[in-house]
Amino acid sequence: MRHFAVELEELNQALLEMGALVESSIHCSVQALVDRDERMARRVMEDETRINRMELDIDARVTRLLALNQPVAGDLRLLIMALKINTDLERMGDLAANMAERAITLSKVPAVKPLIDTPRMASLVEDMLHRSLDAFVKRDAALAERVLPADDEVDSLRDRIYSELLELMQENPSVVPSAIHLMFVARNLERIADHTTNIAEDVIFLVRGVDVRHHASENKV
Amino acid sequence: MQTGPKFVRHFEQELEQLKGKLLEMSALVEASVQRSVAAVTQKDRSAAEQVFRDEARINQLEMEIDEFAVNLLATQQVVAADLRLVVAALKINTDLERMGDLAVSIAERAVSLLAEPVIKPMVDIGHMSALVESMVRKSLDAFVAHDADMARSVLASDDAVDSLRTASYHELVSFMEKDPQHIPQALDLIGITRSLERIADHSTNIAEDVLFLVKGVDVRHHAEARQ
Repeated sequence: MRHFAVELEELNQALLEMGALVESSIHCSVQALVDRDERMARRVMEDETRINRMELDIDARVTRLLALNQPVAGDLRLLIMALKINTDLERMGDLAANMAERAITLSKVPAVKPLIDTPRMASLVEDMLHRSLDAFVKRDAALAERVLPADDEVDSLRDRIYSELLELMQENPSVVPSAIHLMFVARNLERIADHTTNIAEDVIFLVRGVDVRHHASENKV
Repeated sequence: MQTGPKFVRHFEQELEQLKGKLLEMSALVEASVQRSVAAVTQKDRSAAEQVFRDEARINQLEMEIDEFAVNLLATQQVVAADLRLVVAALKINTDLERMGDLAVSIAERAVSLLAEPVIKPMVDIGHMSALVESMVRKSLDAFVAHDADMARSVLASDDAVDSLRTASYHELVSFMEKDPQHIPQALDLIGITRSLERIADHSTNIAEDVLFLVKGVDVRHHAEARQ
């Protein structure tokens, strides 16, 4: 059997590699939307297949490590967390692919409006993902905590995008189909932010042993 | 290493407890999905309020189940098949909690629709939700009974849900184009069908986990292996 620590490090690397690909998918899907770049959008959709394969690989690694090593408290929590982060990353990949599909649809019809808030929202979300994975690698709860407030900012950007699009639709019903696509893009970005919040909360749990999941959401209401 | 009869009994008891908690959670989530749909189609405010009340318990159970599973893995020597069960329980737990969130989101939209006159009969939502509710029920029954055939029947329904949703989406879009005054309400209806579709996706995840558990084969992301 190979050394547990080595396999754990490989698992870390696999998660980071997946995280980097997901981050770039988020970025490219929104960039494709802004630039009306169908080729870039298709690349994101191809990368989704790679992300799905990475998910299966990471789950298999974790299950093997659990089965062969009977890890104790700290390492066990780490492995369970790897499973959860893996699920979150895969869902983010799905959401990015969904945005890319919408980018392709929208590249074929006239633009509804210049997109300013959407790329802003995307870069906020990418930053949240980057920092939550960084916090995971460094086992840094304070860093993870700083990810959480950005979620409110993402929510208010989404609200602003929604009400702006709603007004546009009511003024000019012919833009309805495109506006709904843009609403879903904002919704997807919001959900990606929720997934990064999950990762940050998992890191805090890992480091401090305190589950902040549903208390954090109560504080926000 | 402990392997005596007493140890085995204790472990099996804990595994049963874990399944029991998961069943409690799945019963609650299934009821929430049903109530949230009733809140929409029957304009039933009290059903929506029950969904809001149950969310706290669902969240609580999610954390309890995670903690229970982690402790089980930490204190027991878990063999392959049981390990798959515990890992499946962790994944199903996450899916159930998300389904609970989606039921809350449907119930919220139901409340905002209460004040409005009905713009169109909710036939599609009725059809779609009946299908989705049966997927939820079957995926959970398949988990309890370790029934691979039932799990496979859940996978087959997912496409039907997607096409119902697409049909309803196009109808609502043309409705909005004709009558901009009802755009906010039509958006709520689109949001509801989207949530139902995602609940169906989570049921599919659970069914895939059951297949993994029973057959030891990972069928995710391999549509051809599902047949």
